[in-house]
Amino acid sequence: MAKDVEGPDGFQTRDYEDPPPTPFFDAEELTKWSLYRAVIAEFVATLLFLYVTVLTVIGYKIQSDTKAGGVDCGGVGILGIAWAFGGMIFILVYCTAGISGGHINPAVTFGLFLARKVSLIRAVLYMVAQCLGAICGVGFVKAFQSSHYVNYGGGANFLADGYNTGTGLAAEIIGTFVLVYTVFSATDPKRNARDSHVPVLAPLPIGFAVFMVHLATIPITGTGINPARSFGAAVIFNKSKPWDDHWIFWVGPFIGATIAAFYHQFVLRASGSKSLGSFRSAANV
Amino acid sequence: MEGKEEDVRVGANKFPERQPIGTSAQSDKDYKEPPPAPLFEPGELASWSFWRAGIAEFIATFLFLYITVLTVMGVKRSPNMCASVGIQGIAWAFGGMIFALVYCTAGISGGHINPAVTFGLFLARKLSLTRAVYYIVMQCLGAICGAGVVKGFQPKQYQALGGGANTIAHGYTKGSGLGAEIIGTFVLVYTVFSATDAKRNARDSHVPILAPLPIGFAVFLVHLATIPITGTGINPARSLGAAIIFNKDNAWDDHWVFWVGPFIGAALAALYHVIVIRAIPFKSRS
Repeated sequence: MAKDVEGPDGFQTRDYEDPPPTPFFDAEELTKWSLYRAVIAEFVATLLFLYVTVLTVIGYKIQSDTKAGGVDCGGVGILGIAWAFGGMIFILVYCTAGISGGHINPAVTFGLFLARKVSLIRAVLYMVAQCLGAICGVGFVKAFQSSHYVNYGGGANFLADGYNTGTGLAAEIIGTFVLVYTVFSATDPKRNARDSHVPVLAPLPIGFAVFMVHLATIPITGTGINPARSFGAAVIFNKSKPWDDHWIFWVGPFIGATIAAFYHQFVLRASGSKSLGSFRSAANV
Repeated sequence: MEGKEEDVRVGANKFPERQPIGTSAQSDKDYKEPPPAPLFEPGELASWSFWRAGIAEFIATFLFLYITVLTVMGVKRSPNMCASVGIQGIAWAFGGMIFALVYCTAGISGGHINPAVTFGLFLARKLSLTRAVYYIVMQCLGAICGAGVVKGFQPKQYQALGGGANTIAHGYTKGSGLGAEIIGTFVLVYTVFSATDAKRNARDSHVPILAPLPIGFAVFLVHLATIPITGTGINPARSLGAAIIFNKDNAWDDHWVFWVGPFIGAALAALYHVIVIRAIPFKSRS
């Protein structure tokens, strides 16, 4: 039997329900603890994300530096770094999905804001918390190993030699598109209904999307696709090279998130044309 | 039916019978927060499920140490890193083994396999003091036996290659090691709390089978990050087992870091989850 069936009264009955668009300003949510708890959760999640991932990057560079006591094939490898990023997103999204929606990334927050799934207030608060959490996370890494941190590049994102600005920007745009598009698919109410409402499975493809984008673009930019991640490392490392290229890691992800939001909302879900259709039928009545 | 009631009563069964269809609508919440476990519960000592749970923790920790320390020995013995599974392979051994073992023992003992996890859950009133102490003792004994078997395979090489013991690496201070252990254990115990949360289980349509995966991943990820610093403890039983069997000064000098750090991290995770995320004390008051 088709999922969308004609009811006896002529109205369509669906086994899923799209939530209504979130208002831009929702003053009522400011009075609820759940908003502040969500912001705290985003801060802690981003802190842990940056701490584990940047620590993995620095640890790898220490152990594979053959001039300073490291060995060939030492450390966890570039593959291990990609696993650190993707795996950490998986468990943190898993832990905070029910609290804040598990964004941990300003680009994801921006994409969901464009799709009217979070209010402007919430979006701004999340982004601020994510950036602060990122700074604190990298700060911990530097505190634990200050000299190593500075000597091995601070885990900061910048364009690798041999790549031009346009290439880096394109890599960030497409990489973030993959991530945000996966987030939209994983949280789509229509798909949740058909997957028998097991939302615990949503974090896994999101984590894998991050993992695979890192596999592809670590050689180009060290892989940002998360403005908070790039910002945190740039602030703590504080050298000119990361700052020179830093704009790429905000413009790219935000463009990628915009394209993903547009693609999912207007092409795949066709919510725009359905809205127009409902207006038309209302006029007829 | 008697057995099931007994299991439910002592808390060994983490997933009580779901409410019959139609009655869940009567309560405004689709989940039920289990009541705080009593500090002492003499009745559970008379129950086989209590002793069985401790035995399960012993066997799980034994297997955990056997697989992981043997993997470490294999990497250390190799002529070069390229010829072995490498540091990432070691991290996979730890994380993957926790995933498999938590999956196997979740329904028996809750699948702790780690004194820090037991301590964190105890602070959150999920199990009694008696059970917590029993679990921790069994975990430590299992760890000692696991490392002992690895030493039994190749005693001389085991001693020559460091015995898989946790020490703070050259170039790091004790403070750095302690900090790494605290935050690493926070990540693990916080993931455990999230995976076993009553509210989330209800909304995930009661599919507890999926809980071990993020817990295993958390262990794997923390190992990726902190193996260069401390060899990654975040599990006092693991550190104790290797230290006892290896039994050299350098292993014991830093050993306190691997108990103080994990227990502080577990306490912070318990506080964060219970106070901030679930706000349980404030709900109880109202």
